[in-house]
Amino acid sequence: MRFFSQSFSYDEPWSIVSLAYFLRYPNPHAAHVISCDVVDRTITQAGTLVTTRLILKKGSLPRWAPEGIIPRSEAWVIEESEVDPYGQVLRCSSRNLEHVKILSARESVLLKPGHDGQTLQRTDVSIVSGFGWGLTKRIEQYGLQKFKSNIQKSRDGLKVIVELTRQSRQSMTMGGSPGGGFHASESPKEYRDAEASPLRADSPSQSITITIWNKVSSWSRFRPA
Amino acid sequence: MAHSLSPECTPLKHEYDSCFNAWFEGYLEPALSASAASEERRAYSKRKAEEYENTCGKIWVKYRDCVQKAVKDRGLDDLLNQARQENPLKEPPPPPMKEATS
Repeated sequence: MRFFSQSFSYDEPWSIVSLAYFLRYPNPHAAHVISCDVVDRTITQAGTLVTTRLILKKGSLPRWAPEGIIPRSEAWVIEESEVDPYGQVLRCSSRNLEHVKILSARESVLLKPGHDGQTLQRTDVSIVSGFGWGLTKRIEQYGLQKFKSNIQKSRDGLKVIVELTRQSRQSMTMGGSPGGGFHASESPKEYRDAEASPLRADSPSQSITITIWNKVSSWSRFRPA
Repeated sequence: MAHSLSPECTPLKHEYDSCFNAWFEGYLEPALSASAASEERRAYSKRKAEEYENTCGKIWVKYRDCVQKAVKDRGLDDLLNQARQENPLKEPPPPPMKEATS
């Protein structure tokens, strides 16, 4: 078994980072996410929100992997989260559903407020292989390396969404139009659908998410390799 | 917005997601002071839950039924139910940061 953990912080407050965390697929750094569904969602007696999502990701196998051990390179991931808006805590745990004997990877994320309106994220990863045949260590090491190299990507992806959320909200409080709060330094190609919103925003809370979707809807056609 | 696992559920998913996200934004910033009495908090959170049910309840049931069928059609239901019983959020946090081998 192998463990890995990392902490970092965002400059934005907890409510913005948590909203972005739920909105993070699709983003330009998550082209490997094929589908994402909510399979269960409840509000508990204590007022927290518990969500189960089922996510399909494109995977890749190492060259040395024995042929046929995994029939296809797609992986179902189950993600369970609990949000407490009163105590300002978001906990999320995800792991692969299939082939867990070969490799079981579990990622736990904790988001909570830090100093000066920042948000802290702690990520813990554990990786176990029960494959045997002298490959256990190698598979675990491979899984760990994969996670380490992907963690930057998922952080970058969330940062993009956090930034869009922050900017949308800022333009709203300044009385600007929902699509108008973006800096000219951003690539205009990626955001070209921003002004062409087919939906009318009736309240500020609706228009923030609509603005973000207008951005990300263009990414679903624009997928970097 | 990300797609659903089944193309026929994707329009329902998008409609549900729009509804949920608009509600979720307000949910993340409760209009309550940190010192609010627990009773006050309970009443507030009950109102929030009702608000969600009233605005998103109908589309949620349609979307959920569609996804549940798709999960079953793909033979994923047993796997999913089994995994959900583990309930990782109730488990103690993972061991401290160190490299170990089994």
